[in-house]
Amino acid sequence: MDSNIVFILAAYVIVWGALLAYLWSLRARGA
Amino acid sequence: MAKNPPSDASVLQPRFPGVPWVRMRGWLGILAAAAALLATWMALVWAPTDAVQGDVYRIMYVHVPSAWLAYLAFVVVFLASIGWLWSRRPIFDAIAVSSAEIGVLFTGLALVAGSIWAKPTWGVWWTWEPRLITTAVMFVMYIGYLLLRGLSTDFERRATRAAILGAVLVLDVPIVHLSVLWANSLHQLPTVLRAGGSPALDASMLLTLLVSVAAFTLIYAYLMAARVAIEVARRERLWIPT
Repeated sequence: MDSNIVFILAAYVIVWGALLAYLWSLRARGA
Repeated sequence: MAKNPPSDASVLQPRFPGVPWVRMRGWLGILAAAAALLATWMALVWAPTDAVQGDVYRIMYVHVPSAWLAYLAFVVVFLASIGWLWSRRPIFDAIAVSSAEIGVLFTGLALVAGSIWAKPTWGVWWTWEPRLITTAVMFVMYIGYLLLRGLSTDFERRATRAAILGAVLVLDVPIVHLSVLWANSLHQLPTVLRAGGSPALDASMLLTLLVSVAAFTLIYAYLMAARVAIEVARRERLWIPT
């Protein structure tokens, strides 16, 4: 396994997590 | 401050004519989610390992689309700003503020994903080189754009000030894109959108990148539809004159 797997996972979790969090915030604002 | 609604019932109509993408939101969401799943599978499983960087290059499939969508979002801010200055239709101001907010999100994600990619490849989280500096400046400028909007409660004045700024700030988009060519840059040169040549990328990697960009574009469209709808509803509540 690539020793940089932690960097790959971190990037994907942060990007998709942030997009989902923003979507959630839009829903909370009434979208 | 909110004004009292006029007594004439005939004005109780939506102030913003329905925009197609707001009405198509449900389908857009399903399409965007499916595209995101496909793009993630292609990026993490289907695309081949890079001969030089190994698997860590796969960060490209979230870093590059985030950066491109930031460009797109700020071009939309520019077009909507011109639309407001030209026609004074409030929908353009709603589109501008929505796209600016989402553009700031994508710029931030491009910076963070780029920083995570930089550590294993460059050995540092951050370095003061042209692409990174101009992107960080773009990030701060559009945060400033959003803050400027809070300085006035007068709708017309706020929209006009923001539109002038939104029309000017777009100048940073080509500066960011071309910054790697103007100075001795550590950042990789343009790989896909480069002058005088076809993309310098393996075909399957290019396809994965294009699918990722398409997925991010659908996500942008979905977020825009939701964000514009919030803006429209908020202005309806405040009885902002059209």
